[in-house]
Amino acid sequence: MTELTSTTRTTAELPGSPQISLVDLLDRLLGTGVVLAGDVLISLAGVDLVQVRLHALITTVRSDLARPEQRGG
Amino acid sequence: MVEAGSGRYLFAVTRGLGDTDLAGVTGMRGAALALVRHRDLEAVVCDVDLAEFGEAALARNLEDLAWLEEVARAHNDVVFAAASRGTVAPMRLVTIYADDDSVRTRIEELHDRLTEALDRVEGRREWSVKVFTTASGPARADEDAPAAVGSGPGSGAAYLRRKREQATRRQAAREQSIELAGKVHDELAARAVATRQLAPQDPRLTGHTETMLLNGAYLVPIDEGEQFRATVDRLGTLHPELTLEVEGPWPPYSFATLD
Repeated sequence: MTELTSTTRTTAELPGSPQISLVDLLDRLLGTGVVLAGDVLISLAGVDLVQVRLHALITTVRSDLARPEQRGG
Repeated sequence: MVEAGSGRYLFAVTRGLGDTDLAGVTGMRGAALALVRHRDLEAVVCDVDLAEFGEAALARNLEDLAWLEEVARAHNDVVFAAASRGTVAPMRLVTIYADDDSVRTRIEELHDRLTEALDRVEGRREWSVKVFTTASGPARADEDAPAAVGSGPGSGAAYLRRKREQATRRQAAREQSIELAGKVHDELAARAVATRQLAPQDPRLTGHTETMLLNGAYLVPIDEGEQFRATVDRLGTLHPELTLEVEGPWPPYSFATLD
């Protein structure tokens, strides 16, 4: 096991994850970041398709949410 | 078809994480996080149930916005925690392997490219800057423009001319805003190590009624973050016809890519 002390780090603490908006998060978690093919799940081409579907979905749901509050969680 | 058993959800590949650095942080659905070490890199993983994260389940779940948000936030929380302890290359959402050996094999295959990605983002953070037109800005200034001199309400030709002039002004104002947003981007790019322009977001998603002219991501050294924020504030003051929104620091989502 490699032991690293936390005294020599060059990286500064990030303040606890702030409320990134879901749209910003999905822009990054689906649109950028490292894309590695998983083993058995969701082919690379599949991910792109999912992304397109998602954006359509979010658009729909958002316009629903813009109406009176719904969706209990 | 429900897949049985469990898989390994990969959040990020990191460098410099110690075994206890993620103590107290949990993975998907409260699962314990583990570090899979391979050469000088670590993979941050946790178990997931394939009944929920298998291919068939994902096809369904990814269309459920509530599910998607929970998973995206859990993913983000782990990436944030890892980024405050080491250098991270965050994975795209729902990157899942059969087991730890599979994870190691993939890291071995991509070791050099992962290393390049980690080198690029080490000691740096991502900042998001969005530029919108301001409601009172040039893109809207035409709405209540006074009628051109000499045009009477009864004159059809004058009416058409006024309409044409309005359209021309609107177009000019729009071009002016886009040009200004480009200047803002250039100024910010001069203070960033790397930049990336993401697709402008739909107003229905942002909650802004104004048009998004720029959805920029900027990679900035950790200790220059506040300076970067101050630059955005200064540019916002300098260009009251634009609305600038700055957020960060974030893990380098847009910059840890395999080229």
